[in-house]
Amino acid sequence: MSLKIGIDVGGTFTDFIVSSAGRETLIHKVLSTPDDPSVAVLAGLEEIAPKLMPPADIREFMASIDAIVHGTTVATNTTLTHTGARSALLTTSGLRDALEMRRGIRERQYDNRYTNVKPLVPRYLRIGVGGRLDRNGAEVAPLSLEDIRRAIDLCKSEKIEAVSICFMNAFANPAHERTAEDLVRKELPEAYLTVSTKLLPTIRFYERVSTTVLNSYVGPKLNHYLSRLVTALKEAGFDGVLLIMQSNGGVMSPQVAREKAALTLLSGPAGGPGAGLFYARALGTDRCITTDMGGTSFEASVAIGSPATVTDGEIARHKIALPMLDIHTIGAGGGSIAWLDDGGLLRMGPQSAGAAPGPACYGRGGTLPTTTDANLVLGYLDPDYFAGAKMQLDVAAAARAIETNIAKPMGLSVEAAAAGMYRVACNNMAQGVREVTIKRGYDPREFPLIAAGGAGPMHSCLISNELEIPLQVVPKSASVLCAFGMLLSELKHDFMRTFVARLDALDWQRLAAVLEEMHSEGEQVLAEERIPPPQRRYGVRFDCRYVKQYHEVSFDVPWQTIERRDMAAIGRIFHAEHNRLYGYSMEVEQAPIELINMRLQAVGATEQRGHAEESYHRSSAAHAAKGRRRMYIPEADSFQSVQTYDGHRLRHGNQIEGPALIETVTTAVFISASFDSVVDRYGSFILYRKGREDLVRSLLAREEAEATA
Amino acid sequence: MKIDPILLSVYARTFRSITDEMSISVQKTTCSPILCEAKDYVTGLYDAEGRMLEQTENLPILAFSLAPVCKYIRNHFGDDIHPGDVIFHNDVFSLGNQNNDVAVYKPVFFENELVAWTAVKGHQADIGGAVAGGYNPNAVEVWQEALRIPPVKVYEKGKLRKDVWDLIFANIRFDIVQHDMKAQMGACHVGDRRMVELLKKYGRKNFEAHKSALFEATRKMMEAEIATIPNGTYFGEGSIYYDGRHEGSKFKVRVDITVEDKRIKFDYSKTDPQSNGFVNGTFTSSASATILTLLQMINPDIPHNEGMVEPIEIVIPEGTILNAGYPKATTFGNHLCPPNADAIQRALAPVMPERVTAGWNNLLCSLTTGIDPQKNDKYVDIGFMGLKGGSGAMLGTDGYDHIGMIDASGGVLDQDYEMFEQQTPHRLIKHEYLCDSAGPGEWRGGLGVETIFEIGSDNTQFVTFGDGDFEPAFGLFGGGSGTLNSIRLTYPDGKVVVPRNKDLITNVPKGTIYHQEAGGGGGYGDPHKRDRVKLRAEVRDGVISAAAAQKIYGL
Repeated sequence: MSLKIGIDVGGTFTDFIVSSAGRETLIHKVLSTPDDPSVAVLAGLEEIAPKLMPPADIREFMASIDAIVHGTTVATNTTLTHTGARSALLTTSGLRDALEMRRGIRERQYDNRYTNVKPLVPRYLRIGVGGRLDRNGAEVAPLSLEDIRRAIDLCKSEKIEAVSICFMNAFANPAHERTAEDLVRKELPEAYLTVSTKLLPTIRFYERVSTTVLNSYVGPKLNHYLSRLVTALKEAGFDGVLLIMQSNGGVMSPQVAREKAALTLLSGPAGGPGAGLFYARALGTDRCITTDMGGTSFEASVAIGSPATVTDGEIARHKIALPMLDIHTIGAGGGSIAWLDDGGLLRMGPQSAGAAPGPACYGRGGTLPTTTDANLVLGYLDPDYFAGAKMQLDVAAAARAIETNIAKPMGLSVEAAAAGMYRVACNNMAQGVREVTIKRGYDPREFPLIAAGGAGPMHSCLISNELEIPLQVVPKSASVLCAFGMLLSELKHDFMRTFVARLDALDWQRLAAVLEEMHSEGEQVLAEERIPPPQRRYGVRFDCRYVKQYHEVSFDVPWQTIERRDMAAIGRIFHAEHNRLYGYSMEVEQAPIELINMRLQAVGATEQRGHAEESYHRSSAAHAAKGRRRMYIPEADSFQSVQTYDGHRLRHGNQIEGPALIETVTTAVFISASFDSVVDRYGSFILYRKGREDLVRSLLAREEAEATA
Repeated sequence: MKIDPILLSVYARTFRSITDEMSISVQKTTCSPILCEAKDYVTGLYDAEGRMLEQTENLPILAFSLAPVCKYIRNHFGDDIHPGDVIFHNDVFSLGNQNNDVAVYKPVFFENELVAWTAVKGHQADIGGAVAGGYNPNAVEVWQEALRIPPVKVYEKGKLRKDVWDLIFANIRFDIVQHDMKAQMGACHVGDRRMVELLKKYGRKNFEAHKSALFEATRKMMEAEIATIPNGTYFGEGSIYYDGRHEGSKFKVRVDITVEDKRIKFDYSKTDPQSNGFVNGTFTSSASATILTLLQMINPDIPHNEGMVEPIEIVIPEGTILNAGYPKATTFGNHLCPPNADAIQRALAPVMPERVTAGWNNLLCSLTTGIDPQKNDKYVDIGFMGLKGGSGAMLGTDGYDHIGMIDASGGVLDQDYEMFEQQTPHRLIKHEYLCDSAGPGEWRGGLGVETIFEIGSDNTQFVTFGDGDFEPAFGLFGGGSGTLNSIRLTYPDGKVVVPRNKDLITNVPKGTIYHQEAGGGGGYGDPHKRDRVKLRAEVRDGVISAAAAQKIYGL
């Protein structure tokens, strides 16, 4: 038995998904252990062993695992809770405050009580070093070795655990940084060290210094955690490959993760978009919007061929300029609290009741009305079948919370108020989807919406109505989407270089040399990760802009275009992308274009494990019918009696007419009056707009075809 | 039509997401660092009659002139407004705020009816007139400052009026302004697309009804905020030093603020007469200053639409320095925001001490133009990183370090250091917090900064514009004042030039060292009561000296 396991450590739960070739995947969840997340990882694995068919003991089980892909929130939590390493920064003298100034922005302009972020390195440990390069990388003043020695002494006396080095204009010439690196390594061999041009050799000083410092800040903790995890897994008998999920949606070896810890800042949610794409592909399309709604947050992302990425992300108001999946997070989850603003308008979140005290209906002391309370009042949740009846929900408590805080002040009935909460929450999430679609120039109607997370499939119909999306997919592993995505991830490493040149005057030879340099770095890393050459591939992106513009548009450049030295083709891709994003292009004027950065992504293909395919059952879903229940139908703005189904008994080909509700242990799928549903070969529920049977023709026509045959 | 209270929230949220999206579009596509790096622009959405639906106010001092101008344009063209029209405007004598702030307005049509407007107003790198970049301290009339653009269609029914376009840009020095105006039009298209989508979904009638309800809800919110201020009339004043032409000249902004239950009136009738220079406000720039200062004293989450401004009455007689008469020069007008804000904070401090701030550092800025010798190309740069001093402290909160003028309230960004060196031939030597610049107090003012760079071109031209070099940001309730602004040029031959706060310095040679200090904000409360743990950390970090900690804070 060769197993591959995805493990996603979240704030509340640690999710497991176990895949063995040709068999159905197994899903497991345990409570997370934030103090040492590896405890929950090991505990979960121990619980899984006896659940296998046939049951295994733990050592036997561990020995049969080929690969574990792991998403961790260690780096994220370290940043959010400000509990990272004691750090120092060596930077160009005179410019040491850039990190704290953050270019002087106050994000809430009219709020005089809004304070700046506490810097990750205090001012007295941001040490100015003499020496200067000009904008082209030529030395203006030599590096002051004396300053560096002084800095090292301070690091020693202050017991510094992590050092960052970032000098002005180093993107154009890393020599000063390299010299400083050598000295620091020699004198402070124990310290975690990040050199800006090794992590991010691109222009923009603030972005680079911020990213470099973040890396050092989270590095020691992540290292410590990974060492503990590796040891614990080994002791338990694991002899396979451990891979770490990174923010760009790929995976990497623990060795790479140790040096580039900041690459794990989005490690947790980064599995989602790839998983979404897997389900979309089952429908024959290469694009999708993936949404994941948990207890406190809602995440949305877009994939066209591959998940979209950004290079201007932020975490806790710190800039991070490494490529990350473009995942938009808003504070909308099952625990989001409803409130009325000063003008009497209803708002949902971003404040969350979390797991404690939790929604009012949990009966754990929560008195404020949440999305989950509304869902209960609206009939989407069965108080007697929550988490497979592991927990009883208190309908009266939910109604009371809504009555007191929302219904009465607004002069509405409890049910009308709950419906309002539901609609406002869905609108917030629809706006979240807009952020990654319309704001990026994509029309959401052209994408199937993947609705995942425990609470997601109760809201996806209304979100889809808001955005006129005709097709939705509720994956079988909806509640552990990210863990599933980890099973599908490949090794991915990003390299980049600033290369400023006009497109119409490119030095192709130099360009090829720089690409080759990145290529050989990619070869080296993949070789270290034992990926054989046939499984390696490389993609190139250019960041370009019109001459005199300030910001770049990033786009894929096919290898053949570079080999043919086809400047015109590159220009055309740029004009089109600019127009799509910003409502105009300057193609007619033939405005000159300049290249700013080149990026290369090295990909190492790994064995991908999806779901086993089910054989076709039949169109009728009658065998899975449960009872009928009164619930809210948003299209009619009224309550109706609706058929419910047992999701665990539904099979490939079964069709359900909306409105209807499908219940499983981990989620409830609400099919509103605008949608019908059919089950696909992976057991996903496909929801299509009434009258749009054309979108799922092959799934619906199966029975007919077989009958004819 | 019945109002759906839930849909009301949906509209409000959607309007904001549209103006935000327009804002990103401008930031990512414009060429002038004033726009794409410093975000000196505003995007907005207005109803058919020009009433504000929502705005993204990166630079608030521009923000509250867009709706009045939209109404003006609506009346100006009357029935002659068609799908595909695009209108430019900057004219300060038809409600514009500053000559350089050029707006694009685009009518939004749905089912052949005018339903809304999208607009973007941004500070252009040049707008003609006598001095590159637009700040001409010698100007006394508008024609010496800028090209006037009263409402003019550059596109009519979707067709470019090339002759009009060429006429405008024949009068503007830098080509990037053409690109940036295209970028602003692009953002208006982006907003147009979204508005049409929204109307398709809900229909015109539903939109109109809910829009009015939204105005009403917001007005009530604003009235409730005003009702928390005790009734009465409160007086305050602020000072303006030097009009750019008359050595030693000084003017006062004087305001009587009358609160009567749910309404608030700002009466500037006692303010000094207009200057005979370019240090004059226009009505909309001065009213923007008033509104943005008030907004900082109330719930910061209040939606920005017509309902928000309704309960506010602003009286500024024509002929005063805050509302100059035709055809006076007015380019400095946006920067009369600091003395105006000072007057308001001082007036309200006795009755709402928990909501006012001490004085903010006043703006002192320089605009550099020249030819980059390596690129043999023109450059223009507003020194945003040099001008960002500290904000005033308030009860319970220190001032914000290095935030810059209250006109922008932290919405304007520094240039990135490396981008600054790419964009100009200069070399940055220092940009750091300035020790002991913060006005001391139990809550200290925000820190100012020190900026030094070496000039990399010959025949460089400097225009300085600002204030704050005579009077520092004031402290409140026992807090001390911040430090003064200053600019100093040290030529390669050792000669030192200290420009006046509104000045034009030409022929500055390569190798000259530019040195600027932006002062800190005013402190609040007795410095002896400042938290000792915080204070010791500040001494350790070198933002408060040991001597000052001992002498002023009693450490």
